Amino acid sequence: MAQSAVQGVPAQTPKGSTTVKIYFYTSIFYLLASMILGLIVALKAVNPEFLTSSRFWQEYFTYGRLRPTHTNTALIGWLTTVYFGVLYYGVPALCKRALWSEKLGIFTAVFWNIVYIGGALALLAGYQTGVEYAELPLIFDIGVVICVVLTFWNLFQTARYRQERVLYVSMWYWLGSLLNLAIVYIIGNIPAGWVGPGSIQMGYYYFYLHNIIGLWFTVVGVGTIYYLLPKLVQRPIYSHKLSLIGFWMIVAFYSWNGPHHLINGPIPVWLMKAGIIPSLLLLIPVWSVLANIIGTMKGVWYKVSQNLALKFLITGALFYGLACIQGPFQALMGPHAILHFTYWTVGHAHMPLFGGFSMVAFSAVYYMLPRLTYRHIYSRALMNWHYWLSVIGFLIFGFAMWTAGIIQGFEWMDGKQLGAGFLQVLESLHIFLISRAVGGSMMFLGQIAFAWNVWRSVKAGQIVSADDPILVSR
Amino acid sequence: MANEAEKNPGILLVGAGLLVLLGVLGTVWLPYFDSSVVTPTDTAKLRNYPTDSAEARGRHVYIREGCIWCHSQQVRPVRADSKLGPVTVPGDYYYDKPVITMTQRTGPDLMWVGSRYSADWQHEHLKNPQKIAGPASIMPKYNYLSEQDRNDLVAYLLSLKPAPQKK
Repeated sequence: MAQSAVQGVPAQTPKGSTTVKIYFYTSIFYLLASMILGLIVALKAVNPEFLTSSRFWQEYFTYGRLRPTHTNTALIGWLTTVYFGVLYYGVPALCKRALWSEKLGIFTAVFWNIVYIGGALALLAGYQTGVEYAELPLIFDIGVVICVVLTFWNLFQTARYRQERVLYVSMWYWLGSLLNLAIVYIIGNIPAGWVGPGSIQMGYYYFYLHNIIGLWFTVVGVGTIYYLLPKLVQRPIYSHKLSLIGFWMIVAFYSWNGPHHLINGPIPVWLMKAGIIPSLLLLIPVWSVLANIIGTMKGVWYKVSQNLALKFLITGALFYGLACIQGPFQALMGPHAILHFTYWTVGHAHMPLFGGFSMVAFSAVYYMLPRLTYRHIYSRALMNWHYWLSVIGFLIFGFAMWTAGIIQGFEWMDGKQLGAGFLQVLESLHIFLISRAVGGSMMFLGQIAFAWNVWRSVKAGQIVSADDPILVSR
Repeated sequence: MANEAEKNPGILLVGAGLLVLLGVLGTVWLPYFDSSVVTPTDTAKLRNYPTDSAEARGRHVYIREGCIWCHSQQVRPVRADSKLGPVTVPGDYYYDKPVITMTQRTGPDLMWVGSRYSADWQHEHLKNPQKIAGPASIMPKYNYLSEQDRNDLVAYLLSLKPAPQKK
């Protein structure tokens, strides 16, 4: 293994390194792929003639097939894969032992990638189920669930036979959300024919649509923040109780949030209320997380400017907080009547997923990679480029979409929902769609810096020496 | 600091699982007992296409080509939607598999598009949206669809209209 090649490094328990490496490296490939797909989608919205030069491109890269491929590559391909990497690194680290079964881990990682690549190709070929975020055909869904269950089993066994007595709070978030991912994924992907009447299906779909974000991306992300923050600022978390309150509130309230996507929609009013009230209550767990982060950071904020991984982490937490202020606001009936169906949704959806938890994932990769490969990150300058291009690019992207959404919402209230009026609104949005493509290009350039930096770190990063703090603080 | 229960992953997992299932119970299972959700309307009966009818095949094309990503099929009881026609109710979607209300209106809502345009218009529009709707349209050209697919798709689009008794 890698450590034997490094002089003077004590032979410590390896932390599931090969499995983690497969997950990290492939996730970066999916990150770039999802960015390219997203950029093509953005350019097609500016000019529908883009990339239609031959029938092949026209058919297999038509907007309606690219969009689900983009969202799936970002959600399942990039963020879920990198999260698995974080889990396979973090759980053994917190249990002070090696992964329960490295062989099973490697098998899961390889199988996972085969399933996802197959799924993405199926989407481009037109085999989408027509359910938002759950577009993968059933056969690939089964593959995903098998991988989740194998991962859960592997990590649960690791936790059962742990050396460390106490379960640190990140373990709660991580193991809890793996179980929830299985529940949410299965419920969301039950074929429409088995479910029954149309409006019942909406309950299933929006339960999935909201909770793949709420009970998977959010919970693992927050657990990762709680794992990385004490390590990066070298002091314990501000309040253990507060973090536990946050955990139980999230699992208690998030799963009720599906119907808030259907406000003013074809569902009974009691169901809307059952979605709106928990949406507002969500402010409690979110602010408990933020209060905990601010408490931990008190007096050491200056470290944000010194430690780039911490800069990514704090920015991610900030965007997560902002997204969760938008959320309850949108769930109110009035704002929802204006903002639903508009580009606002696009801006909002990218905030927790790119601005929030992708940032947290970047931080995790920057923190964990040197501990996996025994090589330092190749370039601080590239990290800075990655950071600023991502943040500024996202802000341009987000504000373009939010403004466009508000314009759409109010113009529609003036009756411009059909025919010439609709096209008139579309024309006025052209500049915002161009801004989105510009912001998106910057985000993409940032990720190229990221991928290049990781590649160079693995190949030519400075080798960790025996007295490096990395080895002490693992 | 930590008490005994916090050291037991079993308690954690059972607790978290149960709380999530409570949400499933409330938002996914309870609607089965609401009559407005499980009673098909006349509009729904119009949309209960026989298997392998042109409309059913057209609906498949509609999903396959991703029309759903830009066109919603839902009219809300709000001012913005007041010009779109009758407000849709839960029963209207009774026979939809899967239901495709969707979340974006990059293009106009299509819930009642069948009462707005003719078959000829739809064919020409699918082949060249910019020529028919105007240069500002950002809809892709669907001139790569086979003759059969386009006919089916247009049949589906024309079938999207409210049942006559309604209003």
